[in-house]
Amino acid sequence: MTEQLAAALAAEEAALYAYGVIGVHLTAADEVSRARAADLEHRARRDDLVDRIDRLRASAAPAPAAYQLPFEVTDRDTALKLAVHVEDGVAQAWRALLPVTEGDERVDALSHLTDSAVRATRWRRIADVTPLTMAYPGRPG
Amino acid sequence: MLTNSRRTFIGALVGSATLAGCGVFDSEPEPPPAPDAFQPLLDEALALAASYDRVIVAQPALAARLTPLAEDHRAHAADLARLIGAAAGSAAPSVSAPSGGADTTATLRKAEQAAQKTAVAACKAAPADRAMLAGSIAACRATHAEALR
Repeated sequence: MTEQLAAALAAEEAALYAYGVIGVHLTAADEVSRARAADLEHRARRDDLVDRIDRLRASAAPAPAAYQLPFEVTDRDTALKLAVHVEDGVAQAWRALLPVTEGDERVDALSHLTDSAVRATRWRRIADVTPLTMAYPGRPG
Repeated sequence: MLTNSRRTFIGALVGSATLAGCGVFDSEPEPPPAPDAFQPLLDEALALAASYDRVIVAQPALAARLTPLAEDHRAHAADLARLIGAAAGSAAPSVSAPSGGADTTATLRKAEQAAQKTAVAACKAAPADRAMLAGSIAACRATHAEALR
């Protein structure tokens, strides 16, 4: 499970970095507040993950790698595209925790997977990207 | 021509053979196949797809928006049926989707939220090798509820 927790941590770190960039390119009040709320949520999850990994004493929480954006973010359109991209990535990381957890821990991972999938849907709607949904959120590919 | 006593004797033989036959089956009762734990997920996926179809027929203007959501449910139904071993579409949905001709995006949304809960419970109880399938279906149903807002 440590491996999956580390991957989730990396995804949350990537999301935090991305939302810092995304916020710069959004101006509409509701879009800015959505980005800020997402940033806070990912920050809380990141902190939880650091604690969990720490408790497992599996390894020191990995230092956040320098995160490279998957594409250049220059305006609102590319910022929204990045928001969808990072939420999809976070959803994938939490989905990978489902088979290695049980009970409440699994429900918790599913809740994070679901939150990211729903957030990705909202960003797609704001960006006018269709379809808004996918059959298997969190499935890579 | 058989005498009465012989008839009785033969009848008794047949009867005991029948009873013996029954006894064999009684001692090893054919267990009714227990429904798969994911059967409710399959039933709901089929019922939801049908509900979307009804709304699209009633309000063709919504087709572009609703068709991809119905397709998601059909993808779930096909994969669940493959997993369970049932033929997709053959099982009569045991879960009532909002029906009665009053389907709207609002009733679809309620049905998605209820179906999400079923999938969360299925994911929680599932063995490890089924957890991701149920989890993604739960998340998908939540995104549908969002898309219907």
